[in-house]
Amino acid sequence: MAEIIAAVDEGGANTLLGDAIQTIGTQSKSGSGSLGPFTASYNLTGHFTNGTVDLIAPGTVRIDQLRFDWNVDLSFQIDLNSFLPHFCLPQVCVDIPCVGTVCTPKICVSWPTITVPVSFGDFVEATADFGIDVSLNGGNWKVQIVVQNVSQLQFGPGTAGILALIGAAITPILLAIPFIGPFLAIAVDTILLAIGIAGVTGFLGPIISPFISGLKIPVYNQAKHFQVLPAAGPNDPAVFVELDAVTAGIQHSDEDELVLSVDISP
Amino acid sequence: MFDNLDTIDSRALRPTDCYGQRFMRPGTYHYHVLPSGGQHINRERPYVVRVSDPKDKGPAMQQLTLMVAWNGRELRPDKIDVSVNTGDLVVWNCPHPAAPPYEVAGDKDFFNSARLVNECGFSHAFGLPGTYRWADAFGSGVGGTVHVLAPRCRTPAELAQWQSDLARATVVMISHGKAEPAHVEIATGQTVYFAIVAGKGISVTDTRLHTIGNCGHTATTVG
Repeated sequence: MAEIIAAVDEGGANTLLGDAIQTIGTQSKSGSGSLGPFTASYNLTGHFTNGTVDLIAPGTVRIDQLRFDWNVDLSFQIDLNSFLPHFCLPQVCVDIPCVGTVCTPKICVSWPTITVPVSFGDFVEATADFGIDVSLNGGNWKVQIVVQNVSQLQFGPGTAGILALIGAAITPILLAIPFIGPFLAIAVDTILLAIGIAGVTGFLGPIISPFISGLKIPVYNQAKHFQVLPAAGPNDPAVFVELDAVTAGIQHSDEDELVLSVDISP
Repeated sequence: MFDNLDTIDSRALRPTDCYGQRFMRPGTYHYHVLPSGGQHINRERPYVVRVSDPKDKGPAMQQLTLMVAWNGRELRPDKIDVSVNTGDLVVWNCPHPAAPPYEVAGDKDFFNSARLVNECGFSHAFGLPGTYRWADAFGSGVGGTVHVLAPRCRTPAELAQWQSDLARATVVMISHGKAEPAHVEIATGQTVYFAIVAGKGISVTDTRLHTIGNCGHTATTVG
């Protein structure tokens, strides 16, 4: 029989889970992924901020607009020969007084491979449905909500500007390459078209999704051997009860509530 | 760190550079193509230019262009033993993008791209806009300026015009310590041909490079 019952309504759950999300802290991940036709190495950090809790009986906690603020440092290489046609200086002939005509050969220029570092940040939002997970591990009762289902990621408005940032990062690098100046606009456009918005979201999606799909938000963590009263003296020891069972769920009466029930024994 | 990565140095030939040498007297001239500075380490001169003086040769100078290949280990002209007539010009170019900066080192003082003496030339196609001040790294005092302007290439027609203009080159004549004209203006991608008529041996070197690898010829001291 449950002997302790705690319940919070949606307003309380918003506060509870909002605080819990803050405790998750900064997440980070490094690796490499496909940025359009390029392979980019990255280091992404981010943290969860807010969301709106919707309690759905019997066991779903839905967080709308669960937001993940992220920042990524990425670096990728571009073999310009893959994007620009060969460029050849034509044969050049000059007349040298008293000597004659001297000609240079046609000289074809090979474009280099460049490394482009880019840093940017934005946010992504999703609606996530969480199940309630209760477990007893190492003498502790733990209640957490665990993602069961995530809607499609919605990137913030800044994500569309990433291509412009990449273009801005590429431009000074290209400007330092001999003979490419007159083709600069063509080169930048070609590279950005090759990446495209789909390339950016296709790159970021697989990196960011695991942060959300693997999200576990702690709700309750308590020792099974629970101290009710501290020791008051040599002859008045601390008082403990055993938390024999913990259950959690969403109950609907006149409103939806997250209910935690605990069976105790002396 | 240079803000302009395109540099000019006849002592260290690069893919868009050419070295040309006229051979005014008959004989057999041996040479090597080596990474810049290598002539002082490697004394072999395995390649040959044979110069003859036939009675029936025409009045006009003939040109022979040798393309130098880089196999990752050595620089080698496409023809290692060639024959020309007196007064003819031999031009060397190595277009390989990975080739090290190199020099053509002959067994006679006049035949050396690292120190241009007479009846020779050095060309450079300028790939980046900017102002290039060049001077003789051996201290003769000869020098000049090349202003490289960025072309206006906003339309296909302008781009085509620029590419057409690349076939035009500018000549700088250098004789007895004087460059004429000393100051030239070209568009990005265009070539300047420095024709060395006579002198004691000079280089055409970007002044930004004068303190690099130039033992004994600048203010740079070693040890």
